[in-house]
Amino acid sequence: MKQGNMLAMILAGGRGSRLHELTDKVAKPAVSYGGKYRIVDFPLSNCANSGINIVGVLTQYESVLLNSYVAAGSRWGLDSDDAGVFVLTPREKADSGLDVYRGTADAISQNIDFIDQYNPEYLLILSGDHIYKMNYDKMLQAHIEQGANATIAVRPVPIKEASRFGIMNTNEDGDIVEFEEKPAHPKSNLASMGIYIFTWKDLRKLLISDMKDPDSDHDFGKNIIPTMLAENKKLIAYRFEGYWKDVGTIDSLWEANMDLLDEKDELDLSDPTWRIYSEDASSLPAYIGPDAVLDRVYLTQGTQVEGTAKNSVLSTLSQVKAGAKVIDTVLMPNAKVEEGATVTRAIVASGVKIGKGAVVGSADSENIILVSKNVKGVE
Amino acid sequence: MAAKAFGIVTSTPRRVNVYGLQDYRPAGAFTFIGKFRVIDFPISNFSNSGIKNIQVYLNKHPKALTDHLGTGRSYNLNSKRDRLQLFYCNHHMENEVYNTDVSDYLDNLHHLEDLPQEYVIIAPCYMVYKQDFSTLLDDHILSGADITMLYHRVNNARDHFLNCRVMGVDQDQMVTSLEINRGNRQNQCVFMDTYILKKSLFIDLVQRTAKYSSTYSLSQMLSVLIKREEYEIRGVQHKGFFASVDDLQSYYESNLSLLDPKNARDLFQDGWWIYTRTTDSNPSRIYDTATVKNSMIANGCQVEGTVENSVVGRAVHIGKGAVVRNCVILDHARIGDGVTLDSQIVDKYAQIIRTKEIIGTPGQPGYVHRADRL
Repeated sequence: MKQGNMLAMILAGGRGSRLHELTDKVAKPAVSYGGKYRIVDFPLSNCANSGINIVGVLTQYESVLLNSYVAAGSRWGLDSDDAGVFVLTPREKADSGLDVYRGTADAISQNIDFIDQYNPEYLLILSGDHIYKMNYDKMLQAHIEQGANATIAVRPVPIKEASRFGIMNTNEDGDIVEFEEKPAHPKSNLASMGIYIFTWKDLRKLLISDMKDPDSDHDFGKNIIPTMLAENKKLIAYRFEGYWKDVGTIDSLWEANMDLLDEKDELDLSDPTWRIYSEDASSLPAYIGPDAVLDRVYLTQGTQVEGTAKNSVLSTLSQVKAGAKVIDTVLMPNAKVEEGATVTRAIVASGVKIGKGAVVGSADSENIILVSKNVKGVE
Repeated sequence: MAAKAFGIVTSTPRRVNVYGLQDYRPAGAFTFIGKFRVIDFPISNFSNSGIKNIQVYLNKHPKALTDHLGTGRSYNLNSKRDRLQLFYCNHHMENEVYNTDVSDYLDNLHHLEDLPQEYVIIAPCYMVYKQDFSTLLDDHILSGADITMLYHRVNNARDHFLNCRVMGVDQDQMVTSLEINRGNRQNQCVFMDTYILKKSLFIDLVQRTAKYSSTYSLSQMLSVLIKREEYEIRGVQHKGFFASVDDLQSYYESNLSLLDPKNARDLFQDGWWIYTRTTDSNPSRIYDTATVKNSMIANGCQVEGTVENSVVGRAVHIGKGAVVRNCVILDHARIGDGVTLDSQIVDKYAQIIRTKEIIGTPGQPGYVHRADRL
């Protein structure tokens, strides 16, 4: 590796079953977000913008779509000779059978050969289901300056909610002294973001012994971090203050989309110094018809609105036909709402058609409805 | 199957003169309907037709197009067998009359001679249309004609297409004349500056033209040769959307004409993608204070005011209470709170903040210069 000595691995995890049918055909990182993006665009663009050239994307639940999507590293500028994005699924190896990834740490352990090819000094571990912008290089500088064995990104959460998170208890120097997974009585409000930097040779040793431990869950939070703390390794907390959202459920994915409508615009996708790269549609710009009504809408090229859209995110090539109403809703790419139909508080999955005059969702529903199959029209 | 032809996208001809816009970039680099450049259309036509060896000639302000076209990756021209060559030609600054397509080709003659393809397809950088060149080439070869010229029938030539040439075509589809449109008839066959011929004949014509007159363009020479009936020249009628961007009015009208869904459907068809260089702009945000009707909005915009019958480019900000009607707004322009614009072309990075009203008419749109502050 010529530039930068840190390699990144994105834990894209399993199917993301809490996203229900959205992940039937695509792995979670490939799920659409924000009109034109896919979730994996965020960690990948953060890597590219942070000067990281080699990124592994670890997934059990491989889909052809995710593979072909990330393999085109050119989208994020990760396609020069010394750069690349690789999808790493469990493989059959000469000295062992085909194992599924038994945990987050095991996913890395099974790819030690891949990492060793590039001989990095540091390894960055990322999660594939968060929306945020972060400069990992700054985090690496903190890791190096403080001579840490591991650095964990944390963000302050309201103390009332702290028991839902993995909480890091630190001393006054910011060194982590204790890690508690979902504590009943949290002592701190610093929640782990699932972003770790390890000095690779330290981690490599730990992973090899963890692989052989039959009692281990092979998990970073449950096993690797506690082991390091027990061995008195230097673990530091790196505070992150910006916008961050876990989009692991339908409700949270919807909320993260709705955040884009907010005038405060904490995520700020328009920042020219930190672009979020994605695929580009060869389509017309957004077309808004003569009788359309738009009221707080986030929309991207290729959308066509002839009806009404209110408080909604309209993705690439989605359509709202004449007389149709889309309220508090996310239309994913190619979703179509036909003439006279009404959709409220919903996520309409990619390519789904809501037939003429159909009514989907309601303003007072507790949860957001996921519409993943065509809805017949009412003639 | 290897392509039998290579493509040429011509430099901006002398007769194309778009007030204001052309001070900053050649016609091919004009922003079109918010997110494209005019040259995206000929290059996408070539790429979609499987013609992936393309020469692009540039004569002024090359930066805008060298940046935009790059190696051709955005146009699906990135395999080792594809090639997008950019030729910068500007050898006669002191006297415009010498700057012709013929002088462009003469300067690069060996690059033309070296190409292995038997045929050449020439397309202009300043016209917008969709055309499958591979079927046009097959028809040309079948017809046995020396040259095939593409034309479009129009019914408004008295006051449009005045910088174009018009053709006479007889019942057998043979071209009988080629001359400047003098606006004396409404119904005309406008020559689309698009033609197919053998490379050997093309080089021959280039050299003949240079001997005939140092200031002649190839189409001027064709006029002479058609009169002499030296070659068998066939006209083929183009159907579908067609625009020639050759003055400010035609730039304005062609942009707004794509607001008609029929025109848009005609030019943009599934499987015939119009490629352009991505800027990775974020989607656009339409605020609760906004009203948007019959308009196209590119990505990266923030719309807080009213937009009607307009085309809005990338990353444009339209402030609260602003009214933008019948306008073409280019990238990164800023229309301040309470500003009213009607029938204006606002060039890139212009900021209209203190001037509260600029009103033109669709028949005579106004132009606001690049990066001006009003």
